Amino acid sequence: MAGSGSAGPSQPWGELLALAQDETSERALLERLLGLWCANHGAAAAALYADRRGSVEQVAVVGSGLPVMIDSGALLQAEPGRMRLPGGWLLFSPPGGAPGGGSNDPLPLLFAAALKSARLRHELKEQQFQVNYRVVELEALYDVGLAVAGTLDLNRLSEEILLRAVSLLDARRGALYILEDGRYRQEGTFGGEAGRWFAADDPALAAFLAGGEEAPADLLPGARYLLGVPILFENSPRGLLAVGDKESRRGVGPFLPGDRRTLGLFANQAAIALENARLHLRALEQERLEREMHVAAEIQRRILPKGAPHVPGFQLAGWNRPAREVGGDYYDLFPTRGGRVGLVLGDVSGKGIPAALMVSTLHSALRLLLDQTEFGPGLLEKLNRHILESSTPNKFITMLIAEMNPRTSNLRFVNAGHNSGFLLRAAQAGHVDELPSSGVPLGLLPNSHYQMRETSLDPGDLLCIYSDGITEAESPTEEEFGNDRLIDLLRRHLQAPLPDVLEAIRREVGQHTEGRSQGDDQTVVLLRRDPA
Amino acid sequence: MTESLNVTVDRRDGLAVIYTEGYINNQGGEEIARVAYKLIDEGFKVLLLNLGGTKIVNSIGISILIEIIEKMIEISGRLGFCCLTPTIEKTFHIMGLAQYAPIFGDEATAISQLKA
Repeated sequence: MAGSGSAGPSQPWGELLALAQDETSERALLERLLGLWCANHGAAAAALYADRRGSVEQVAVVGSGLPVMIDSGALLQAEPGRMRLPGGWLLFSPPGGAPGGGSNDPLPLLFAAALKSARLRHELKEQQFQVNYRVVELEALYDVGLAVAGTLDLNRLSEEILLRAVSLLDARRGALYILEDGRYRQEGTFGGEAGRWFAADDPALAAFLAGGEEAPADLLPGARYLLGVPILFENSPRGLLAVGDKESRRGVGPFLPGDRRTLGLFANQAAIALENARLHLRALEQERLEREMHVAAEIQRRILPKGAPHVPGFQLAGWNRPAREVGGDYYDLFPTRGGRVGLVLGDVSGKGIPAALMVSTLHSALRLLLDQTEFGPGLLEKLNRHILESSTPNKFITMLIAEMNPRTSNLRFVNAGHNSGFLLRAAQAGHVDELPSSGVPLGLLPNSHYQMRETSLDPGDLLCIYSDGITEAESPTEEEFGNDRLIDLLRRHLQAPLPDVLEAIRREVGQHTEGRSQGDDQTVVLLRRDPA
Repeated sequence: MTESLNVTVDRRDGLAVIYTEGYINNQGGEEIARVAYKLIDEGFKVLLLNLGGTKIVNSIGISILIEIIEKMIEISGRLGFCCLTPTIEKTFHIMGLAQYAPIFGDEATAISQLKA
């Protein structure tokens, strides 16, 4: 910091007046006055200091060796010579140069006026600073509100909230907690460690958030002064915001009474932003689940047969409509050994993804076993063991599987706890022979045994295997579609092409339910021997 | 996130770039001031404060930066800022720093403008 020298001209007043008229030359004017003072009093250096809180601050200096800032207490011990002035001090060296000039010396009066001017300017600057910083606080509140629309990334938003809270409160440290599953989980920390989580009903934490001075020990370990507020959304706690150690130019101290209100207002804004981000995350998660569900549905559609094998003298058809995007019904139509054809319809307990996973398991296991095992009870017993090992408790599958030999029209079947199939005899006006269950569903008991039964298809006979989603479809008065309606429908369509029969089932079940949402998966498999 | 501020300096031809990383608070501000005044003593009259590594500044830090700006004005030097986060840039505008110390988006532009 260079002074303008210690010697002044003999006729300085014109120059001083010129400096005084220029607002930007205030410091130069003071340095010129100090230079005059040094010349008049034989000092090599002199500096003018304004009183500040707890210290004095240099306003102007000529010469060297004088401190820029000094504590008020240390000032009295300072080596340079000193003169008390209203609003500050004049320090000079060497100290031996005693102040002279007597009471007629006008310079101390000028210095006092300059100090008063400096004090007013300093106060104005501080007030302007405080006003501006209030604007910054308001902007911070406004910006966090804007983040509702702008920042949906929860991690980024949390960091932004924490940084702004610490900055806004002039804190040295801070932590943000989100309320999850009955506890406050640390979402972010700034400036040091913070506890990982706190129970939501922690009495020490509750007292602190209510305005108490004692914070839980590991909220911000090492912080001497803490302030914390809850983050409330529609009066419901969503988290908490804590800051520690308020800064000033002299170090750290307690937070001011107005700081709680500022932090509380900020937390209110943050709550809206956090809630919005949380809802956004949930929507993304929902979207992801829906995408996965679409994929699962596509996989399941691929599991189901695209068409029916061509069997001369016979017609085969199948249809499935899951209650949800994916379902627990399964059917297949497939050629087996010796030119025979297989039909299967399975119904997994429950619906949705868990049932769909079991369908996949059933499909894979059945296809593998069919390659290795003769059709019959042994096939189902192996399948039962596999399903039992692969499924969760209380999951089971009812299944009717049949194999038809086109050469003999013989039909062998095993029914594992499934609804009886209906075999409508064309020669007997649609008389129904049932294909009843001969064992418990798959996946219930480890040593289940099944019986294989046989029948034969005469010309025009129609076999219908179905899931209970058809017969248990309810009307608005909760009346089930039932076996009788299904059998009546089949009789009326005994001669109709199978696609027309399937369409009739879809239509009449729909009419029965009168558009009520489908309660269960619906599946039908049809086999007809051509009329003679 | 750390509370301490790291300051590094790149002295170039007639200009020094001060890089900050961390919180510009009381301690951080004092460290920047110490480095800036040392550079001034070395004869640098053009300083660029690259705040690319700083996400947070408080009022104490701002008041110290204002003192550095005043010092630069006093010596007829030039001080500029670059690479500020949008939040800090807005704060500097509100607090009046931008009136006396220009703010640049990137370091290369800042250097060319301050040297011009």
